[in-house]
Amino acid sequence: MTEPAFLRPPCAPSRLAVAIGCAAFLAAAGCGGGKAPSRHGKRFLVAFSQCNNAEPYRAAQNALMMKLFAEAGDVDLVIADAGQDNSRQVAQVETFIRQKPDLLIVAPNERAALTAVMGQAMQAGIRTICLERDVLQPNYTVYVHSDNVAIGRMAGDFIVKYLTGKYGSPRGNLVQMRGLLGVEGEISRYNGAREILDRYPSIRTVAEPVADWIQARAKDRMTEVLRSQPSIDVVYAHNDPMAVGAYLAAKELGRDHQMIFVGVDGLGGPAGGVKKVVDGVLAATFVYPLCVDKTVAVALQMLRDPHFSPDKEYNLPPVMVTQANAASLYTQLTLSGGN
Amino acid sequence: MRPILFAENLRKHYGGVHALRNGCFDLRAGEIHALIGENGAGKSTLARIIAGATRPDGGRILIDGQEVSFAGPVDAQRRGVAIVFQELDLFPHLSVAENVVIGNARFRSGPFAGARAMEAFCGPYLQLSGLSVNPRRLAGDLSVAQSQLLALARALSMEPRVLLMDEPTSALFDDAAEHLFAVIGGLKSRGMAIVYVSHKMEEIFRISDRITVLRDGATIGTSATAETNLNEIVAMMAGRSLEEVARHAATTRGAVVLSVSGLTTAKLTDVSFDLHRGEVLGVAGLVGAGRTELGKALFGIDRLSAGTIRLNGGVIRPRSPRQAIAAGIGLVPEDRKGEGLMMRMSVLDNSVMAVQSRLHGSGLIRRQRELDAVKPVLNGLSLRFGSYGSPVGNLSGGNQQKVLLARWLLADPQVLFLDDPTRGIDIGAKQDVYRIIRELAAMGKGIIFVSSELPELLRCSDRILVMKDGRVAAIVDASGASQEAIIAAATLVRPTAPQDHDAR
Amino acid sequence: MLAVIFSPVASDGSRIFLELGNLSDILRQVSIIGIIALAMTFVILTGGIDLSVGSILALSTSLTAMWLVRSSNVADYGAHIAAAIALALAASAAAGLINGVVIASLEIQPFVVTLASMIGVRGLAKWLTSNANIDIGFGRDVAASFAETFRNKSIVIGSYAALSALLWFVLSRTVFGRHVRAIGDNERAGRYAGLPIRRVKIWVYALCGLSAGVAGVLYAAENHQGNPNAGVGYELDAIAAAVIGGTSLAGGAGSIPGTIVGTLTIGVLTNMLRLNNIDSNVEMMVKAVIIILAVAVQRRSSND
Repeated sequence: MTEPAFLRPPCAPSRLAVAIGCAAFLAAAGCGGGKAPSRHGKRFLVAFSQCNNAEPYRAAQNALMMKLFAEAGDVDLVIADAGQDNSRQVAQVETFIRQKPDLLIVAPNERAALTAVMGQAMQAGIRTICLERDVLQPNYTVYVHSDNVAIGRMAGDFIVKYLTGKYGSPRGNLVQMRGLLGVEGEISRYNGAREILDRYPSIRTVAEPVADWIQARAKDRMTEVLRSQPSIDVVYAHNDPMAVGAYLAAKELGRDHQMIFVGVDGLGGPAGGVKKVVDGVLAATFVYPLCVDKTVAVALQMLRDPHFSPDKEYNLPPVMVTQANAASLYTQLTLSGGN
Repeated sequence: MRPILFAENLRKHYGGVHALRNGCFDLRAGEIHALIGENGAGKSTLARIIAGATRPDGGRILIDGQEVSFAGPVDAQRRGVAIVFQELDLFPHLSVAENVVIGNARFRSGPFAGARAMEAFCGPYLQLSGLSVNPRRLAGDLSVAQSQLLALARALSMEPRVLLMDEPTSALFDDAAEHLFAVIGGLKSRGMAIVYVSHKMEEIFRISDRITVLRDGATIGTSATAETNLNEIVAMMAGRSLEEVARHAATTRGAVVLSVSGLTTAKLTDVSFDLHRGEVLGVAGLVGAGRTELGKALFGIDRLSAGTIRLNGGVIRPRSPRQAIAAGIGLVPEDRKGEGLMMRMSVLDNSVMAVQSRLHGSGLIRRQRELDAVKPVLNGLSLRFGSYGSPVGNLSGGNQQKVLLARWLLADPQVLFLDDPTRGIDIGAKQDVYRIIRELAAMGKGIIFVSSELPELLRCSDRILVMKDGRVAAIVDASGASQEAIIAAATLVRPTAPQDHDAR
Repeated sequence: MLAVIFSPVASDGSRIFLELGNLSDILRQVSIIGIIALAMTFVILTGGIDLSVGSILALSTSLTAMWLVRSSNVADYGAHIAAAIALALAASAAAGLINGVVIASLEIQPFVVTLASMIGVRGLAKWLTSNANIDIGFGRDVAASFAETFRNKSIVIGSYAALSALLWFVLSRTVFGRHVRAIGDNERAGRYAGLPIRRVKIWVYALCGLSAGVAGVLYAAENHQGNPNAGVGYELDAIAAAVIGGTSLAGGAGSIPGTIVGTLTIGVLTNMLRLNNIDSNVEMMVKAVIIILAVAVQRRSSND
């Protein structure tokens, strides 16, 4: 075994630096050995590249996926977090490809960035599932997602109905709190709502701040909006944490009763959006399914049944959560640990 | 007489270098014992070991016949050994009183040391050390000489029986040194044992009772001062005898190369003088008199508020050292480490630093061309070094100074300002510096030579410019001048009538 | 020694690690940070720091993509792509140049100046793009052709290798490189020796901006998009690579080969951890330990 060529820099560096490089090797190799998944019997290796563990929706996906695959009994699941960085996710997927897993699941951080590397996976003969977001070319075996445009439309309808109830006719001031721009989910949730709202010129969109899905950022952006807008009726945020952030900003300025807050995601658990509807913080949220139960079901069938040929795309319907159904849904979601 | 402190066979090495191989030493109460040796001979290491600041690799130390092993300087202080370091280790942002009490186990107070209690505590020691300043002044505002006395007061506040002083006068002008000698004499008469590390022969012969000479990390011998003489000691130090420095015979003075008139900066007032080709102009004065600032003004570092500098008759107004060098002025700074050399870079890199654009345009480094230029110069300086690639930081002080001189010999300026170039270097290296000054003058350069040691100024210069409070106090002809006249000019309120005063 | 390193050969991780494809993956993955780290070494050698490189990278990706998708029917692909790259590099170098001019002329600490430009340049990139990603797409147009070309492994690794060789040469064999080292070793002494300190500093920061620009062009190709939010935290990765490679943040000590080793150390380490399916959170902790170890070992050896 010879030393890999790249270890030799163009000119001899300090011996020290080389020693440190070697130490790093040792550390890495040493950590490694024990944990590699065993391939005895009929066990399958499933690799999952998650775009950003920091979002609650993503964390819920991870938790449910770990639970379901563990229950399946014959799957070793590996999850890597890209920390919302395209380059890092590309690198992670590349590394997974080298490991030749039986199935590769990717929740892309951004569609364009992951397109090419997903193509590489296809070329390497690895079956892939795009979870919740797809890529720009059909470089995947299966795409499991929900319909964000439908969510946007549902939210639009809900807002129109609320304002009609409030003022007798569909008019009022709206704030749309946007997630990370350029992401499919964000664009669709925005466009779906616009599709409905554009029919009612008396409903004015007074601000469209961008908070990148993050609650703290949403609170800051909303505070700025509140300072400049004396009258706001509805805040429609493209995920629940941003809706909660907007709510907190309004509450701080004592204006939370002047407006309602509408979110999207509808996660279970005490921190999820459904609970916020139960508590009366949010007027409504729209459950964007985690898509994980369907993904795992399809995945297991793909792994176990060589004759199974999955659909190219599974589109899961969203669910509207309001005061009417929140309590019962909360019990159901929280007990089953997912949706 | 039984020694108060006895050390034998002390050893210390750093990496592969033996700083001390066989350090032996004994000290009696009420004596001033000088430790002397060339740079790198091991005298500072020996002093630091005795003060507990450095741990020896071997050997033993006895105090009052009892073997001791110091865990650190504080432990040594508890045993009655205190040291005043060569590098002043004061806290510039603390007051004089705070500097005395800080870390002093003998000063006990609550967590909030009252200024009054501190001042009461340190008063006697300030008096003993002869430092008369307000104890609330910040240490950073003191002059170099006052800082030295403060460091002494701090050591005295430990109530030591043994006091070590490492090069205490290296930054002091003669009058401040005189003052210090008086203070040391007083301490001696109180029965204190004083170890005095120094380079300066004159003062050692004046104040010490015994002299111990070190060479190459080993004790060569100890003599009673009264029973030996300068040549004997120098021979012990160097293993050779002292080359008598002939007074620099005045070369034929050429035309005026540098003419300064009315030069005024934040630190200088109305400084005027002429410098001729082939002339060595000595600059004397107390620390803070404006000697270094004169260099900074000529070299484009300090901003001129008035006055003109003429080089070969043409007015120049350098705004940076780069412009000054381009005009033909060079400067060897006083602070070799801080302002002179790049310690981690090689001998070769440092030597060519000021002439790179001349050697290479400003493009690629052509090593052979550099070696061709540097070799004769370094050989001429009899520089001792491992290789052209070894870092300058590994050389001794004297050899570092030679590298710095080599840089300016290569740069070949018309006027070279040497700011205390012999400070802290050993006798052999000093001789080389004197020789270079003579050679440069013979080549027709104008040399400005700043020094704190009057004998060498008198020996090397044609004329001596005496500075005081940023002004020219006098310009005297070196051949006819006496040390006393120069000291008088530098210290008296009114300059005495100078001989050969040709400042306008 | 290698036997010890690869002793758990049985595990898949070590076997896959040595595959040629994986090794070149690593090189490609470290190239973007690696290119920035090369120029960062120059900056740190002068005793400075450049926090703005991540933002300059974002500016460069955005400008590249904006120019590329500017018009759909382009006759001369080569000229159009060259213009896009030239625009991105010129803007990046200009951003670095401004850093340098402010640092050298106003004598404000580099940390402060580049912190400001980290914020300001990020804002510029977001403003230019209206905070939206600019998709290069996968069509048959000039933009896609650019991405296909510059995403190519050999081009990416080749750029990194070429820049490494070039900057190594500049640092060790040119007067400019010696000035960089001298200023970091002792700036005051450099002044007294008449070195053109201001000019050297300005060029060093311009070089750093330029290299972030090169990294940005490669990033745009790799990710098929111009992204004003790209490169967050890259400045710290680049600094870490230089530091692990023996560069002292105090200036004066460091080398290009050292920085390359530092960059590869992080890349190889990350790759091995991933191949062995170590939790990506643990990955961060291991990196932290490596950084401290590297510096501690260097500190000890320099104190000997």
